[in-house]
Amino acid sequence: MTPAGWMFMLASWAAILGLFVFALVRTLRSRGNP
Amino acid sequence: MARERWGSKLGVILAVAGSAIGLGNFLRFPGQAAQNGGGAFLIPYFVALFLLGLPMIWIEWTVGRFGGGFGHSTAPGMFHTLWNKNRFIKYFGVIGIFGPAVIFIYYIYVESWILGYAWFAVTGQLNACIEGRSFEQATLAMKDFLRGYQGAAPNEHFSGIGPAYLFFVLTFATNLLILYGGVQRGIEAVCKYGLPVLFVLGIVLMVRVFTIATPDPRKPDWNVVNGLGFLWNPDWSALGSGQVWLAAAGQIFFTLSVGFGVILTYASYLTPKDDVALSGLTAAAANEAAEVIIGGSIVIPAAFAFFGAAATAEIARAGTFDLGFVTMPLVLQRMAFSELLGLAWFLLLFVAGVTSSISLAQPAIAFLEDEFGLSKKEATLVFGLNTFTLCHGVIFFMGNGVMDELDFWGVNLCLVLFATVEIFLFAWVFGMDRAWTELHAGSDITIPPFYRWIIKYVTPAVLLTIFISWLVQGGFEKIFMMKDVPEKDFYYILGTRLALVAMFANLALLVRFAWKRRRSGEAAA
Repeated sequence: MTPAGWMFMLASWAAILGLFVFALVRTLRSRGNP
Repeated sequence: MARERWGSKLGVILAVAGSAIGLGNFLRFPGQAAQNGGGAFLIPYFVALFLLGLPMIWIEWTVGRFGGGFGHSTAPGMFHTLWNKNRFIKYFGVIGIFGPAVIFIYYIYVESWILGYAWFAVTGQLNACIEGRSFEQATLAMKDFLRGYQGAAPNEHFSGIGPAYLFFVLTFATNLLILYGGVQRGIEAVCKYGLPVLFVLGIVLMVRVFTIATPDPRKPDWNVVNGLGFLWNPDWSALGSGQVWLAAAGQIFFTLSVGFGVILTYASYLTPKDDVALSGLTAAAANEAAEVIIGGSIVIPAAFAFFGAAATAEIARAGTFDLGFVTMPLVLQRMAFSELLGLAWFLLLFVAGVTSSISLAQPAIAFLEDEFGLSKKEATLVFGLNTFTLCHGVIFFMGNGVMDELDFWGVNLCLVLFATVEIFLFAWVFGMDRAWTELHAGSDITIPPFYRWIIKYVTPAVLLTIFISWLVQGGFEKIFMMKDVPEKDFYYILGTRLALVAMFANLALLVRFAWKRRRSGEAAA
């Protein structure tokens, strides 16, 4: 894998995981959950 | 009759994420990325996510919740509510029931293959078919196995379509049973357990693929890291191709389940005070994690490690079904505990399939409940009887292009057309000021204000560009001149199209009848 390949993979994973964790934590902390 | 509601916020998020996470996350995405510029594909992919995917997600959640407040669970009623001065707009809404039902008819058959293959993996039939053969011979054997299973031609593996039919009936019954349970006790309950199971299975398979390392020391280049490189190394020249940008937009549409009408129905079971902005974002993010992180880390890297670059390039081009039903059994057979890993792979796909297919069925069921006063059980039964009958066209005439034809109308045409009408209604007819207020009612987050501009101008412009490009690049000829239809399949395709026209006309008549019924009810009151 080239350095650019690593960069694309890690940046994409970080962006998606960041979004997912942010959204999930905010959801779990908000009202309306059991 | 009291309107059904979701049991919890997490429940609805998991149900929408379950609808979005389907076979495409694990089979379509890696193939698309590998063929369209590798890592560079992620640039148009993320652009499409932020300019097209997220706006459409927020619009569908908002329109769904808004329509649900007026007792509508499907697009005809919702579109009429958004533009009540227009008598015809409800007929455009028919696409939001028709499209998902058309996709359901063939999707559930593919889903049943997965159940069948899970059985064949556990009983060792898949391994027996591959053992002792070279990659080329084993690939041909697996393709034969799939063709035999589909009933295309009797062969050494299958003498007829009997096993496929049995697994189809089991899968259909499973779906119907879930739908019979209703929104909270059926759909929500299954997604609440199914989605965590899906993520655990996906992570287990991903970790197993990452630990393959270099399976054949004589071929040190054939390893997982280079396999990831096959998918992620950017080919910058791809960014200059309009096809790549269209492929990325298409993948975003397909993966997020927007433009189908199913999110409208799911969101209609929210209360007016429930949040839609954060819930929509969470469901979309869960789908992206399943697609880019898990989906991109299983089939292609594993295939590269075992079969090398040239074979993987061929595999990526071979399409969705071959990746799932031909390549993965070949890969898994080379690992220890291959039966268990095979079961995990097909179980992952089956859970992804079921949580998607139940969402495709729900708009039609909800329409019968809302507009004709049928009970949940009656509506499920009516839907089940109709679609079970129609599925036989796919099962017995798949070799004549019936499934591809349904896919063309259900996905390629309905999706973009429906989304274009939807955004026009939301941003231009309903009005951006009201739309923005409605989107933020009960919201747990504030959407950045520049999305007002994106929703009003950018997303509709992108959708129109996609639709026109699609028409110009062969869509028009395919619709009106039946381009690329082989002579032997001509009458089968014509028959399928006539059946689809009849199905759409029936739904439109039902809408007309329902509105008349509603008017006379109001007059009597």
